[in-house]
This record gives sequence, C-alpha cells and structure tokens, in this order.
Amino acid sequence: MKIVYIFLAVTLTNFLYTESLLFKNASVYTGTSKEIFEDYDIYVVNGKISDISQDIDLSADKIINVEGKIITAGFISPFSHLGLIEINMLAETRDDSSSIYSAGFSISQAFNPSSTLIPYNLNGGLTSAISTPSGSRLFSGLGSAFSLSGDSDSLLLKDLALYASIEAEGESKAANILLMEDTFDLARAFDKDSREIQEYGLPDSVKYSMRDLAAIKRVLNKEIPLVVSINRASDIINMIKFVKSQNIKLVIMGASEGWMVAKQLAESKIPVILEPINNLPTSFDRLGSRLENAALLHKAGVKILISYDEWETHNAYLSRQGAGIAVSYGLPWHEAINALSKNVSDTFNIPNRGSLTIGHEADLIVWDADPLEVTSFAEQIYISGKLMSPNTRSLMLRDRYLKRD
Amino acid sequence: MRNLIIISFLTFLISCSSEVFDNQEREDERDDIYLSTYKPSSSGDVLVKGGRILTGTGEEFLSADILIKNNVIEEVAELIEPSSNTKIINAEGKWVTPGIIDIHSHMGVYAAPSLRSNSDGNEATSPVTPHVWAEHSVWTQDTQMPLALRGGITTFHVLPGSANLFGGRGVTLKNVWSKTVQGMKFPKAPYTLKMACGENPKRVYGSNQEPSTRMGNVAGYRAAWIKAKEYKDNKNAKRDLKLDTLKGVLDGEILIQNHCYRGEEMAVMIDISKEFDYKITTFHHAIEAYKVADLLAENGICAAMWADWWGFKHEAFDMVWENVAIVDQAKGGSGCAIVHSDSGVGIQRLNQEAAKAMAAGIRAGFEIPRKRAIQWITKNPAKALGIDDRVGTLEKGKMADLVIWDSDPFSVYAKTEIVLIDGLIKYDHSDPDSPKPTDFELGIISPNENRL
Repeated sequence: MKIVYIFLAVTLTNFLYTESLLFKNASVYTGTSKEIFEDYDIYVVNGKISDISQDIDLSADKIINVEGKIITAGFISPFSHLGLIEINMLAETRDDSSSIYSAGFSISQAFNPSSTLIPYNLNGGLTSAISTPSGSRLFSGLGSAFSLSGDSDSLLLKDLALYASIEAEGESKAANILLMEDTFDLARAFDKDSREIQEYGLPDSVKYSMRDLAAIKRVLNKEIPLVVSINRASDIINMIKFVKSQNIKLVIMGASEGWMVAKQLAESKIPVILEPINNLPTSFDRLGSRLENAALLHKAGVKILISYDEWETHNAYLSRQGAGIAVSYGLPWHEAINALSKNVSDTFNIPNRGSLTIGHEADLIVWDADPLEVTSFAEQIYISGKLMSPNTRSLMLRDRYLKRD
Repeated sequence: MRNLIIISFLTFLISCSSEVFDNQEREDERDDIYLSTYKPSSSGDVLVKGGRILTGTGEEFLSADILIKNNVIEEVAELIEPSSNTKIINAEGKWVTPGIIDIHSHMGVYAAPSLRSNSDGNEATSPVTPHVWAEHSVWTQDTQMPLALRGGITTFHVLPGSANLFGGRGVTLKNVWSKTVQGMKFPKAPYTLKMACGENPKRVYGSNQEPSTRMGNVAGYRAAWIKAKEYKDNKNAKRDLKLDTLKGVLDGEILIQNHCYRGEEMAVMIDISKEFDYKITTFHHAIEAYKVADLLAENGICAAMWADWWGFKHEAFDMVWENVAIVDQAKGGSGCAIVHSDSGVGIQRLNQEAAKAMAAGIRAGFEIPRKRAIQWITKNPAKALGIDDRVGTLEKGKMADLVIWDSDPFSVYAKTEIVLIDGLIKYDHSDPDSPKPTDFELGIISPNENRL
C-alpha cells in the first residue's frame, strides 16, 4: 500500500513539475547516423530527449538558440580512475586498489563525486565515466560507471566488468593465462550455497575470497565482460583462444599491436579500448605501436573505444585529442565520436546514454566548434537536462591571478 | 648501498673544501674536446614557394617564398625568382613555420623502449652531481627521435632528470640521425645545468641523508655555490669536475635550466641566484608560473610549461589552462613563455600543446594570434638555450630549419609534410622510407619489416 502512495506521489510530482528545454538551430550529431543534421532542434522533457527533428514548434520552459553549433551526446570515458584518485603520487589520496581483495574488489563505493577531477573533466566534455580499479596483480577488481554530475547518487551501473592484466607482476604472460584458467576452474567448482562452504568456508589453500570467486562467476556466466590489458600481437591471439575455450566475453585494453591481428579481433567480435595518443614503443610488447592503429582496426571491423592514458586520469577528457589524432591518421570523424560515446555505452551496457536518441537521458554538450579540435571548448554541458556549472577549482585559481590590463 | 652513497657524498664535501692541494696553477676545463662533429652536406639553393609563413619573429606572410643558400636562409619575401639550379619545394596552400624546438626532453637518456638497461637520466646516487653530462648517456638510436622529427622537432635539449638538486649538464642536439652523439650536437651551443626544486630531490634522498625537506634543498644549493665561489677565486685549487660546471654558471657560460613547480620556490631560487650572482635562464615545469608571472618578467626569466598536465604530484595540483598565456602577457607582453614536453608523446605534437594554450589564453580575453603563439615553441626556447642567433626564426642568416605543414599547425588534424634541417629534407611524408629508422628499428617487427 505504502509503495502505491509513493508511486502516485512521484508520478504527480513529475506531472506537476514538467520541465522542457528546446535547443534550436543545432548541428546535431546523434551517434546513430553518420550524418550531422544541420538546423535541427532537440526537445528535452523532464531531463530526457523527447524529439530530434527540424522546426520543432512546441512551447518550452527554456529555448536555447545555439546558432549552428555542434551538439553531441556527452562523452564517456571508457577507462580511467576518475573519482578514485586525487594526486597520483600520494597513496593517502587514492582509493583505486586493494591488497585484501582481487577480482571481488568493487570500486563502486570508492568513488568520490566531490573530487576536483570531476568538474574539471566534465568541463572538458565527459559527462560520465567508467572508473576502474588498478593493481599489479592478475585481477584488479570490478569497475563501475558514474555520472560526472557531482551528485551524491552518481552511480550509473555497478560492477559492469572485471579487470585483469596478464602483463602484471613480472610473471610470464603464459603463466598468467594458466593462472587465470585455474582460477576460473576454481570459481566454477565453487558454490557459495553449498553445505561445505556454508559450514566451513573456503579451504585455507584457496588464495581467493568468496567475494573474488563470486565476481569471477559473473564473468563465467557472461553477465559481465572481462577487460584484459594486453598489447603484443601474439598475446592478443592467445587471449582470443583462451576466451573462446572459456566461452566468456572479452574486451581488450591497450592493443598497441592490435592492427597486426585486426582480422582475428574482428572475427571474434572483441571490442578494444585504445589510447591513440600513446604511439611509443615503450616496451618490447609494444614494438608495433603506431598512430594508424585505430583506423586499421576500424577498417577491419573491430569496435573501438577511445581513452586517454590510464595514468593520466586527471586529463581523461583529452581522449578527445586522441580521437582527433586518430582521425588525422585515417579514422572517420563519426567513428571517432562514437568511440568516445556510443561504443562505450554499447560495450558495457550502460543504459540510456552515449547517443542522442529519443528516450535517452539528455546528457549533451553544445560545442563552440569541432569537439575533436584541441582549440575547442564545451560551451554548455547538460546532464539529464540540467545545465552544469562551468566552475572548476582551476578556473577559480585562474581568476584569482588573472590581470587583464 | 646506502653507506656507499653517504661515503661518496662525504668524499664530495671534502673534495669541495677550499684547501690548497698543491701550488701548481689549476689546469682548467679544455674547450677543444667533446665538440660537435655535426656538419650538414651542402643543400645548394632551395626555394620553398608560396607557403603561409609564421616566421617566429612575430610576423606572418599569407603567401611568401623562402630562399635557402647552402644550408642557411638567404631571404624571406613575397616573391623570389629562382635561378636555374634552384631546387623548388612547392608549399602553396601549406603552412610553414620554423623548426620546432623542445627545451625539455629526455630522448636518448630515457629512451623507448624504456628498459632498466637504458634508464640513464638520473645519477641518483648523490643530490649534488653537476659533474655528470647528459650527452654521455644519450642513446642515439632511441625510437622517439624519428617520431619527434615527424612532429616537426628539429632541435631538442636533453636534460638529466630531477632526482638531484644539481642533476648535471644538459646538451642541445639537432634531430638528425647519427651514430655518435657528437654528430648530433648543436655546434657551439652553450652547456646548461639542470637544477631541481621541490618534491623530487627530497623524496629521492631524505631517509637518512639531506635533503628531506624544501629547506634542506635550499641549504644544499647554497652550500654548493659557496664551494663554487671559492673554486672560481682560487686558481690553485685542484681540478674538480663538479665545480667546473658550477664555475661555468658563475662565469655566465653555462645556462641554468631549473625544474621548479611552485611560485614560492621560484621566488626563493631567484634570491639564491642574487646571493651568488648568477642568472637563472628558465624555470621548467613551471605549473605555478602564472602566480609569479610579473616577477619572472622583471628578472628576465623564461618559464617552460605544459598546456594542461597536472595532478601527478602535489606540486602539480594548481594547474590552470591559461598559465602559458599569463606568463606570455606579463608586464605588457614582455614575458618569455615556452611550451615544453618532457615526454616522448608530447614532443611529437608540441604544436597541439601550443594550440591548447593559445586557445585558453584567447578564451581568457587575451589577444594571442598564431604568429605570437608559435614563438612559444620556436623563438623563445631558442633564446633560453642561447642559440637564438642561429635558430628559432625564419630570417636571413639563420640555419634553414623549417617545417611545412599540410594545414594550420594549431589544429589537431595538421600533419607535417616536409621537415628541413639545415636546408636538407630529413622527413618527407610522401617517402615511405622516411623518417630514417633507427638501428634498433631495423628488422624488429620481422626480418623484412622495420618498425614504423
């Protein structure tokens, strides 16, 4: 009975406080079509996209004439530690890793919506982000998606993927794949509801906690993908074979030499998260790094997601610059935008975001010019139809010291 | 190991003392060895025709020609008639800038691939190592160098790292393939001395050795300069490699390149330079330069900055996008702003970093045209390296180091088409064998395939 009252109250509130926005004369890139629609309008009701078409003739609480400027969906960082790190070198400001748990470490409660990195990256063009755990072990834990609204309820999707690296710990990568296989076998055999476990818990010889094994089970049940950091072509091939034998979903992070095995990645329908700006052969596993990687993978039919640099979370929004560089080396512009938005939400099943689609949340950005240009700025940023503040700590520092003679 | 470090430090302190070791006059550093052997072959006459030119002098030509004679710029003018044996490079519809100069690089000393065996940038065994020279660590076959060339870098300055208060001598190199470092050395470029403020020295040492605090850092600089003064004044003192370098600074021959993030530390370093009567040329990684921009302009000190890197440590927390522009515009536009990379990634696109800083400045209300912003990566770093008489601008008499871009270099989409060093084509986008791969890259992908 109580539930019904609450339901009625919520419905009534929504009805009474309908709020509408109308963006006029925009160049709209929706993410669902390759085209940019010139002179289009976007109608937003109660924070959701209600219509995208020409000459929308409806009354609205607020009409915003953007005079031909580009509107895109807000961008989504596919891989960073936003909300988990304040200053990289100060462990006391970090919540991104655990030595107690491995696969079962969920960063969902580590996220701090008041982090100074959040308004800063929001104003760089990210409206949401997948924050990932870090660590030097085989499994680092579970990542979650968050809105960058700064609100206390920023969590969008909890524990959406399990993160691992076979390049970790100075161990042979082959040994790490074997260890992964053994751990998967253990997790399969493990039933938390069984009488033995209920009565005695896990045997001491098992290096994982029940929480860790439960996380791995979600991967084995294909509920969530496994995201593995790998770069060398031969390692990518071995990983593809391994996930086929395990029948699980894989996303590859890094893939510096991905272009060498683009065909196999495309055939196996494995999405890759790229850092296009990082084209240096920083290790022997990345000797084939090159700026054409994104374009070559896309051409072969691989779904690509664009990130900046894992260890430069502070500037996660510079994924835009990486995307621009990928375009100058052959990636189509619309694919670069999708790699920053729709491909991220599609790969990790983040609902109602990533493209301008009727019914989606109105997470959108009015750009002063091409969003991939290094000289462009996000002029207005909306999350669920709400205009975000342009203020950041950095901007306040600037204004304290700026003298305009 | 720790004991060894302490012993070597004590030995250093003893050797720095003003005791007269013998009566013979000290044989000072010789200036006729360790010289550059770089000598370009003759370019003949080359005419770069019809480009949109940002000269680096503060001028812009919408369409003009550049005549090169024997490796040197002869003339920049709107229309130059070629003679019969002039090689013509068509730059119509393209943009032309001076060769890009990165004042802060570790190419060669922190190479790619990054391996324990070639990590040669920090002599982190004592906080005072002015006797080590970066040029003695440089691996000339670093894969970062041809990538930087493709990004338009024609000159770069290699510094030791920032673990030490005095990190050692830096070296200015031309971005040309060579099997020896002498073959890359910028002819007669002044030596530099790397100093470091702040978190790094006190973090690297400090457990049971000075410095462990910022005040320990400052005491360390002053103690060393006291020894250097004595050494300079006492011709009878035994020759000391460390003091040779410090004396070179006091004599005005070696330029100080000072890693320093915080505004208050820059002000303290200026005081120290006044106490010992030397000049600081540039503060590097100057994240807080905007807080002391007037002080820097008054003292004629350049600031080398990133467009937007921040947050990796506490002293890099107060970054503003407008830092470069505020330094540039200080005291009626008399500031010396430089955009630097300190990164094998950033050095490939210093033009984009300058573009971001320019856009932020314009957005903050400054008038900063491209012809001014280009100076942050050309003329100003040349000045701070003491080589602005030969590079950094496109004008008569300068080395013919220049870049032809396919479009506006302040765009993410711009790529270099041709890079000339001393009038010779070192990168040509239409040549699949260009840039020349390093030795390391030959056959490294497969026996028949070089790294790209």
